[in-house]
Amino acid sequence: MLIKVQSAANSGLNTIGIDVEVNVANRGLPGFDIVGLPDKEVQESRERVKTAILSSRIEFPQKKITVNLAPADVPKEGSAYDLPIAVGILAALTDCPIPEKSLFFGELSLSGDLRHTKGALLLALFAKENGYKNVFVPKDSANEAAIVRGVNVYPVENLHQLLVHFLERESILPLIYQPVEEVLTDDLTEFDMKDILGQEQAKRAMEIAAAGGHNILLVGNPGAGKTMLARALPGILPSLNEAESLEATKIHSAAGVIPPGGALLVQRQFRSPHHTASQVGLIGGGSRPRPGEISLAHRGVLFLDEFNEFPRSVLEALRQPLEDGFVTISRSQERVLYPARFMLVASANPCPCGYLNHPKKVCVCSLQQIKKYQKRISGPLLDRIDLHVDVPPVDVKELAENQKASEFLESSKIIKERVILARKIQQARFAEDSIHVNAEMKNSHIKKYCPLAKEVERILQQAGVKFQLSARAYLKMIKISRTIADLAGVPEIGVNHMAEALQYRQKNYGQEI
Amino acid sequence: MNIVTIQDKNYPKLLKQIGKDAPKQLYYKGKWNKEIFNHCLAVVGSRRMTIYGRQVAERIVGEVASAGVTIVSGFMYGVDATAHQAALKVGGRTIAVMPCGIDLIHPEYQQDLYAEILNNQGLIVSEYEGSMQPALWTYPRRNRIVAGLCQAALIIEAGEQSGSLITAEFAKKFKRKVFAVPGPITSENSKGISQLLKEGAAAATCAGDILREYGFSSRFTPEGPYATQKTHNSLEIKIIEYLQREALSIDAISRNLGMPAAKMGTILSIMQLKGQIQQEGNKYYLC
Repeated sequence: MLIKVQSAANSGLNTIGIDVEVNVANRGLPGFDIVGLPDKEVQESRERVKTAILSSRIEFPQKKITVNLAPADVPKEGSAYDLPIAVGILAALTDCPIPEKSLFFGELSLSGDLRHTKGALLLALFAKENGYKNVFVPKDSANEAAIVRGVNVYPVENLHQLLVHFLERESILPLIYQPVEEVLTDDLTEFDMKDILGQEQAKRAMEIAAAGGHNILLVGNPGAGKTMLARALPGILPSLNEAESLEATKIHSAAGVIPPGGALLVQRQFRSPHHTASQVGLIGGGSRPRPGEISLAHRGVLFLDEFNEFPRSVLEALRQPLEDGFVTISRSQERVLYPARFMLVASANPCPCGYLNHPKKVCVCSLQQIKKYQKRISGPLLDRIDLHVDVPPVDVKELAENQKASEFLESSKIIKERVILARKIQQARFAEDSIHVNAEMKNSHIKKYCPLAKEVERILQQAGVKFQLSARAYLKMIKISRTIADLAGVPEIGVNHMAEALQYRQKNYGQEI
Repeated sequence: MNIVTIQDKNYPKLLKQIGKDAPKQLYYKGKWNKEIFNHCLAVVGSRRMTIYGRQVAERIVGEVASAGVTIVSGFMYGVDATAHQAALKVGGRTIAVMPCGIDLIHPEYQQDLYAEILNNQGLIVSEYEGSMQPALWTYPRRNRIVAGLCQAALIIEAGEQSGSLITAEFAKKFKRKVFAVPGPITSENSKGISQLLKEGAAAATCAGDILREYGFSSRFTPEGPYATQKTHNSLEIKIIEYLQREALSIDAISRNLGMPAAKMGTILSIMQLKGQIQQEGNKYYLC
């Protein structure tokens, strides 16, 4: 008897339909085979399915069972085929009807329960696009799938429950999406901008970076507060909007990092991989390409602490995604595109010992060492970083007692409000474009949205001569001044905005000293 | 090949006086003009120059050079290079004594400065021929020539183990006057200087101190820093007042004036474009 069950396979963020054909034959030697390019996980599915069916108090037939996963030439991986295979066998055994236009997806445990399976959101999106009415997924993954409206998502607890549902004795009710109040981890709420004493300019730069989505490089002595500034950044970033949230959640679903019962991501991600991260870990890859840190940070922040301790090859691999906002990973078996539109926050020491320009400690590095150290970050990469900020060491004790200094302290909440307003202005500006923030502006956008008044142009040209700005640096200055004007709520870029932007130009780092 | 041997009548007299320390021959680049050696001042100091060191070098050396004194130094980065530059800036002459073969530019990336010295009637001098690489022992050997060529030596910023102290030792040995510019005693770069002053070096706090030694008078009339002459803006004047005391970071200036960093950044950028202030590391100082 031949049964056909529909399922789907994810490859990157793309999903294709898979027909799971199950034949239980009365003739032939008893056995259980899976064909259609299954990999190890899918092969092992036989043991899980067999035991799960037995655990659900159904006798496993001593017959010849053949499972075909079609199309047969696409390699199959993952544990999500457990459920469709089991459903196919159950249907063949019990003659229960399988609902039409339904997708089955999920991993079985030996007890017959269903386990949280990665990629449920992608499955539901596929179902909606292709006119499927129902999706049956593990209960733990159901909320993630239910994000997609217009498809019935059935949360399945175990095989037995599903069988009862098929036989219409006791129905499973489709799940209605429940947003989960995202609990901010300690990491994200650990630092408030008002806890950071001094660093007035660096804090201002963080605000500009957050408002315009600009990449930023913090250079300073050890202990100056670079990491603290970066960790305070999530506190001043606006939440994801609906479209951004779906984009980010899709990637997380594909990577399988959404927790059981998880829902749409609301907060911008803050990823801080250690500097020993491999190229594949950061960019994505593997023979079945998985998203890397840059894609997991999509629409969020990628924080690279000790920037020049990262291997050069890893850093250089960042160049293309920084420019394009996506990364294409090509492997022999497949080619996958992952979005990677993130805000890069990098921090670095000025020299190997760390104490160059320190007011009290003496730097013990030679000029050669300093140059070599700073040159680890290539020019093209530095070019893609808009804001360059010095983070000088502060005398915390003195500042704590300084009345004037404490007047400047603004809480993250107040800064965040300004950032949100600036982002709203940008949203309105780019309503007809495919970009979201000022940092993404290409030449054509700059021409259209950043006309410079004569005196502003003059200041920029003066600065170009004085500070030897490159053509790309010119554009960076215009982009930053646009964001500064947006923060001030002013439609035209003024002299004062441009003058402030010049503060964040690329100074010595990576150049001749 | 451009070479002057010790028997040559063009060989600098002062250098000959140092006896067996005098190099047998000098290779040179540029135009050998005996007059350039008439009034020479050796200016040496730390490679790790601070903003203070730069200000001092620019102020004192510039004035001394414009009075007609040739500035002799070792072409190293830091105080040496700044001294050469300061002399060139005021149209003065300068001699760079190399620790390597005459055909080598060391450090290589200062080739612009190298060309500028030659273009302004300066000299590049070395006792080594060809493209001999510098070695640890050639630096102190070079220093004896720097000291030997000059009537006096000026030391700006020197740490405890600084090579500049070797030059000072040679100057003393050759009975030349040694000047040292006092620095803040908390700075690592002042330790060598303090030592020199205790041992009897003359403290130099202005160009006049040095020019008196040569019997020259300064052609400059003392005036306030360049910055103050160009502004009537009360805020800019206030900033200049702070910077006259010490170099400050933008954070410190905005705290002192009670003004947000955003606005202060605007003002400082414009002052920088106007040429009133300069930035080095993360600190601003007056031009």
